Amino acid sequence: MGGHIAVDGLFKSYRTGKLEVPVLRGVHVEVERGELVAIVGASGSGKSTLLHILGLLDAPDAGDVRLDSRRIDNLPDRERDALRNKTFGFIFQFYHLLPELSALENVMMPHLIRHGLFSYMRRRKAIRRDAAAMLERVGLGHRMAHKPAELSGGEMQRAAIARALVGTPEVLLADEPTGNLDAATGQGVLDLLRDLNRERGLTMMLVTHDQQIANQADRVVRLAEGRIEEWAPALV
Amino acid sequence: MYKYLLCWRYLRTRYIALASIISVMLGVATMIVVNAVMAGFAEKMRDRLHGVLADVVVESYALEGFNNSDEVMARIQDLVGDQLIAMAPTMETPGILRFRIGSESVTRPVQVIGVHPLERAKTGDFAEHLFDENGNQIPPSFEVPEALRSQSPAGMRLKELQGEPEDAFTKAMIEQLEQQATEQVPEHGALVGYAIATFHQGNGLPDRFLIPPGTKINLVFPKHGKIPEPGYDEFTTIGYFKSDMSEYDSTHVYVPLEQLQRARLLVDEEGRGAVNQIQLKVKPGVDIDRMAETLQLELERLRPMYFRVSTWEQKQGPLLAAVAMEQSILNILLFFIIAVAGFGILAIFSMIVVEKTRDIGIMKALGASTAGVRNIFLGYGLLLGVVGSGVGMVGGLLFVHYINEIEKFLSAVLRRKVFDDTIYYFDRIPTLVETHTLIGIVLGALFIAVAASIWPARRAAKMHPVKALRFE
Repeated sequence: MGGHIAVDGLFKSYRTGKLEVPVLRGVHVEVERGELVAIVGASGSGKSTLLHILGLLDAPDAGDVRLDSRRIDNLPDRERDALRNKTFGFIFQFYHLLPELSALENVMMPHLIRHGLFSYMRRRKAIRRDAAAMLERVGLGHRMAHKPAELSGGEMQRAAIARALVGTPEVLLADEPTGNLDAATGQGVLDLLRDLNRERGLTMMLVTHDQQIANQADRVVRLAEGRIEEWAPALV
Repeated sequence: MYKYLLCWRYLRTRYIALASIISVMLGVATMIVVNAVMAGFAEKMRDRLHGVLADVVVESYALEGFNNSDEVMARIQDLVGDQLIAMAPTMETPGILRFRIGSESVTRPVQVIGVHPLERAKTGDFAEHLFDENGNQIPPSFEVPEALRSQSPAGMRLKELQGEPEDAFTKAMIEQLEQQATEQVPEHGALVGYAIATFHQGNGLPDRFLIPPGTKINLVFPKHGKIPEPGYDEFTTIGYFKSDMSEYDSTHVYVPLEQLQRARLLVDEEGRGAVNQIQLKVKPGVDIDRMAETLQLELERLRPMYFRVSTWEQKQGPLLAAVAMEQSILNILLFFIIAVAGFGILAIFSMIVVEKTRDIGIMKALGASTAGVRNIFLGYGLLLGVVGSGVGMVGGLLFVHYINEIEKFLSAVLRRKVFDDTIYYFDRIPTLVETHTLIGIVLGALFIAVAASIWPARRAAKMHPVKALRFE
């Protein structure tokens, strides 16, 4: 099994009361380095679950997750935490910024988690500069000191993208990044992601239920009832 | 690093949590104030107890005492003489005091103490506690001033007769009046406990003297013999003993040692008077407990099972122990206040963890470890504890510092005395802040704050990131 990141024979079910609900039933996906893959499917088809398992936020019942052909889903907690911090970047539909922190501090968060007090103190200037540059890059240079509550939806998502990218990850996992934004703003965010994908050679997986958005990806994976239904090259 | 940042931000933005630490604050402040006041009282009491009692007291089991006090004192001098400043033989016996107010006769139970005033003054604060009716200090002596004698009815008549020609009649008159004067103003003086001699009116009014200076008092005490019989003697009140320890001030009557020995028939054929106590004043820095042990052991050889040697602390052991016990029980009860505050923290923290569920999910998605998330909330609890106990400590110390002003203010507002000085004779509330108590209270409060945040912190840490992110 090759590719930058790959899952094989993935099974996952959730238990609600006595009922076991299968979500993923033998999913196999391989993504090449630098590829932008859209995962589409109806609600409840298991898109988000697949993304969570890929990003080590959730563990599969069966099957494995590989990064550069190395199995990563069975690593000890500490190494999985480190992978989430360094290798993966997450973007969520509802931005999920920490409300107590300013935009800049939110963007610094991966660094703050990575470094202890003393290690941070030594690098704080570089970290701050890095986060500020990233905010500039997503067009929020003028909003650094603002709290999330003072930002618009598009701005919050841009801040979230900056946060996902500040730790220089290899894989960006986005769960409906434009789901909560109007079409124009959503397209702006999408363009930004596309640019970053090209600029940095990031591997990107993007969950969406919007065919319009999926069409802009290099490749589309369609999930239906927990199985891959279709591998389709993008129309563009 | 994120842990510190978030703890700090939570502290500054979550005012509801600050409300939960008000109880920690109040608990800490209350404990500091109560401990300071109790320690102040205990300290003052110890001071006064120690002031009246000598460092070490050698007593006989029998009330009649021992006639060979010189021998015993010589033995003590041999054993520990280099560590002593002074020794004073004393005869202490229970008795009854009788005096007249107008035509009425009043009796009171008292402790009659026969002393050599100058020696006694060397073994403890004795001279410092002797006052006349105007509150001026008087020298330690039992001498009856001539002024008192001449003020008696017979004395006044005698004065009138002084210029008159000396015939047989006047001579007989003078003789008779002189005898009457001695009856009215007995030869030997006595120093009477201030609380026996006065009536305390309170409310800032002056104390009224029931036994003014020059008053004849009768003392009744057991005489030596196979069957104890009452013995009587008369003394003239020449001054008052006021140590501010109500127990002493309301029972002690000091009289000349020799006179008491004679009246109690305690002088043997060789003319040696018996004493039942020898009071020792020890040089500073000497371990008095060890000295008492040594003396006990050695005096046992002199006369087995007869002498009891105790330090002043041992003599007042039950009282001091009672104060210590009161303080520890009060501390336990007060600590429950802080424990209750702990449950407040627990409840509010649980709420905050629920409120922060999504943030916890985000942090985990960004690579925060389980321990890291737990430490955020433990640190937050510790920080709240630090703030609560810090503010409580400052508040408590300020309260202690201004306690007398606060007492005055409260008394003025409530129109009644909050701190009644008639009970203790203190005009100010004594306080003593002990560092070790302070540290103990603050550490205890911190411990409770952290302990109360353990459960919510663990719950936060165990949260599944995906479920946390989906939490609405």
